Amino acid sequence: MLQIISRSKYWLTLSGALFVVALLAILIFGFKAGLDFSGGNLLEFKFLKDRPTTEEAKTMIDELKIESGVVIQPAGEKNLIIRFQAADESLHQKIVDKFKNKYKDDVQEERFDSIGAAIGSELKTKAVYSIILVSICIILYVAWAFRKVSWPVASWKYGLIAVVALLHDVTITAGVFAVLGKFAGIEVDLPFIAALLTILGYSVNDTIIIFDRIRENLGRFPKSDFGEVVNRSLNETMARSINTTLTTLLAIVTVLIFGGASISSFALALTIGIFLGAYSSIFVASPLLVVWEKMNRK
Amino acid sequence: MANKLQRITKVRLSVVLIIIVAIALGFFDVPQVYDRAIDFANAKIQTTFPHFKNIPFRLGLDLQGGTHLVYEADTSKIPFGEKGDAVEGVRDVIERRVNAFGVAEPVVQVNKAQGKWRVIVELAGVKDVNEAIKMIGETPLLEFKEENTEPARELTPEERKAMNEFNKVAKDKANKALKEALAGKDFSEVVKTYSESETGADTGGDFGWIKQTGEFAKLFEGASKTEIGKVVPKVIDADNGLYAAKVNDKRESGQEIKASHILICFKGAESCAKETTKEEAEKTVKDLKLKITPTNFAKLAKENSTDSVAENGGELGWFQKGQMVKEFEDAGFALAKGQISEPGLTKFGYHLIYKTDERSIQELKVSAVFVKTKKESDILPPKDQWKSTQLTGKQLKNSRVNFNQSTNAPEVALQFNDEGKKLFADITSRNVGKPVAIFLDGQPISIPRVNEAITGGEAVITGNFDLAEAKQLTLRLNAGALPVPITLLSQQTVGASLGSESLQKSLFAGLIGFILVIIFMILYYRLPGFLAVVALIVYAITVLFVFKAIPVTLTLAGIAGFILSVGMAVDANVLIFERMREELRLGKPLSTSIDVGFKRAWPSIRDGNATTLITCFILAWFGTSSIKGFGITLGIGVILSMLSAIFVTRSFMQLFASDDQKRNLWWFGLKKNKDIQ
Repeated sequence: MLQIISRSKYWLTLSGALFVVALLAILIFGFKAGLDFSGGNLLEFKFLKDRPTTEEAKTMIDELKIESGVVIQPAGEKNLIIRFQAADESLHQKIVDKFKNKYKDDVQEERFDSIGAAIGSELKTKAVYSIILVSICIILYVAWAFRKVSWPVASWKYGLIAVVALLHDVTITAGVFAVLGKFAGIEVDLPFIAALLTILGYSVNDTIIIFDRIRENLGRFPKSDFGEVVNRSLNETMARSINTTLTTLLAIVTVLIFGGASISSFALALTIGIFLGAYSSIFVASPLLVVWEKMNRK
Repeated sequence: MANKLQRITKVRLSVVLIIIVAIALGFFDVPQVYDRAIDFANAKIQTTFPHFKNIPFRLGLDLQGGTHLVYEADTSKIPFGEKGDAVEGVRDVIERRVNAFGVAEPVVQVNKAQGKWRVIVELAGVKDVNEAIKMIGETPLLEFKEENTEPARELTPEERKAMNEFNKVAKDKANKALKEALAGKDFSEVVKTYSESETGADTGGDFGWIKQTGEFAKLFEGASKTEIGKVVPKVIDADNGLYAAKVNDKRESGQEIKASHILICFKGAESCAKETTKEEAEKTVKDLKLKITPTNFAKLAKENSTDSVAENGGELGWFQKGQMVKEFEDAGFALAKGQISEPGLTKFGYHLIYKTDERSIQELKVSAVFVKTKKESDILPPKDQWKSTQLTGKQLKNSRVNFNQSTNAPEVALQFNDEGKKLFADITSRNVGKPVAIFLDGQPISIPRVNEAITGGEAVITGNFDLAEAKQLTLRLNAGALPVPITLLSQQTVGASLGSESLQKSLFAGLIGFILVIIFMILYYRLPGFLAVVALIVYAITVLFVFKAIPVTLTLAGIAGFILSVGMAVDANVLIFERMREELRLGKPLSTSIDVGFKRAWPSIRDGNATTLITCFILAWFGTSSIKGFGITLGIGVILSMLSAIFVTRSFMQLFASDDQKRNLWWFGLKKNKDIQ
């Protein structure tokens, strides 16, 4: 039997440190807001033959005398992404015409996203609301699911600890994206929010299942030490925890690898979050439960 | 014992049922498989089973390429209570324009969020997005038009000269062809050299059997007097060109007659505007019959007949069988030449028929050289049926649905401003008894007839419309009267190539993910793992069926949601199998272990999936299409995966749940039978 609870201190220190680092990263770096939230325009061309260099493209666009900041970056092997600030449809057309004139049929407009600033801030508000809403719903559900367990730890404490574990998962995932945004230019967009919400819903599963087993074992071994019961429960459910997470990860990692660029950051967030969800149920939530019970006894 | 047998039968039955349903749903998902099998069977055993109904998956714009436009409607100038209808009018206008653009299944929706009215337009597979945006953004134009009675313009001298020259060249060409044909040159050679007609191009100019009437009437007339085998000695001038013809054969086919008639229609008969009763009509026609003779027939027809040929003395011209209503035709053909019929009844009313002539129908088999000529109408632009008046939507104050006070039928009321009042009065007094057309964006939306001059600036359009139609007309009129300006807030366009690339990539990723999960389950859980895989396949078939049946719009994120749900779907199986193993290790018999495993695992499965479902609901509510798609597919996946674990996996497992102690528990994931405590 693996001794997890007896090494609680190490796990909790590790997770605590990760959590603090992630939080600092978010506070210091912030997120690199994607088009969904910042508003603006993103135009992606695909060049079938020779892709112009960033400088060449920049010169072409400068000839159009666009006031608002233009950022050009290559994407993939054949593509070029051009970002520019608020403008009306005619500017978009001017840029497309300019490239079409020069490269004729060798250039394709792959996508064009134009998000008004109003929509951007609206989506931001909506994203925040939905995160709060999901969190509240999950806290209520967990509290309801554990309503019958009250000994030796009160049912609301199970709920609270499950939520702490969740916060841990979501914060570290978000922290990774804050760092990636700072150093790799990865943006935070609507799918990222969807990924965070999914992590909230999915990773609490593991915690619930382990807590279920603890509840069951408390009935079976009423005279055992609480820490021992928790450790026993963890071991009994270990194969299950690993396997469920593994199958889900198998599915999402294939999306991350083969799904293409448009969905990769979404898949990355899910991969990190789902892994952390399994980790935190075993190494954060359960040890915290024991720590809290010990504090109560003193 | 009997109880146990019963149980086994029941399990077998449900397994068979599951497989049959899964196959049926699978055919729904991929009808091509079924179609191919049926084609094979049909060919082999000479049957004609139909193909499976093919409903395609509904793909989002990010997968099939297209553009998503969000407009904000500025309703600040619209009175509070009418804002909704005004935006609905905008939606209607945009929808009409988009439909004119020929987009498959366009979406045009009104959305009210935080007091702001938005119109969302989704166009799949538009090539020229710029053009579409331009068209959608234009202010709707409402115009009142009257009938155009002006003649088409004259040809300019240059145009006339060009036309004459063209025709001269044509005439020379036709004459030359005729000369060669008359000189005895092979006619099909002449055709090959000169003819401009598609007809008979491969058969030496053979036009087949032509009749006295119809497309080749002029050709017939010109060629009818020429003997069989001879070339017509003159160029035949038809409306659209010139013919040099040769008569190959002649024949007679049936009779045709020439007749005049008098029609006395009555109220209720087809296209009759009279108030005469049937009895009155019958009496009139009988009275007429008493005094009518071939000499006074035309005069009496002019005085009494109620149909449009009355002015010509009831003259109908030549007609053949099949051209008139049956009763009329029978009576007419039965008459002798110069005879007048007894009164007869058809759906148009009572008739008297005077047969003035009869002849047999001639047909000619003709080969011809055709050379095109031009007429004035070929050069001039077609005359417009409607011409603009000064009156437009700017002078229309508003329109609303009213109910007629006597009949209670819905009608559409229009109210004009002072300028419009005057213009409308002019138009209506010019056009009493004539139609006036209301055009929106160049398309007629209503063509009412003016009953009297309207000078008060308020008009009512009555008609056979129901409430919904009347309401739609007012929406359209108001859209032109009080245009709601719209501004483009956001645009997301995905090229078709990027879309199909994304689709292929995500499907490939899904396939790989699916295979990896299958491999893992079989390696780790052995027999139950295999059964779980079968259940997983049933699950995937069912999910795809639900996607098609609802239908769910599949986006890139939606497909990711589905793939993720495949990974999660096995979670329930894992929970059950782990429980089952524990029970087996305690030495319990297999069937009990299975039952207990399912029973014990259920609360965990339920609780675990519940939180994911909560998230899915909120994601679906979140609204933005890609996120919504993800929430919906994942949610459907989670619900079905629970059902699949409980019904499908369980039924499969019970099939193998014999309590034979010799059964090797290795198959169920235990290391050795010794593993049992």
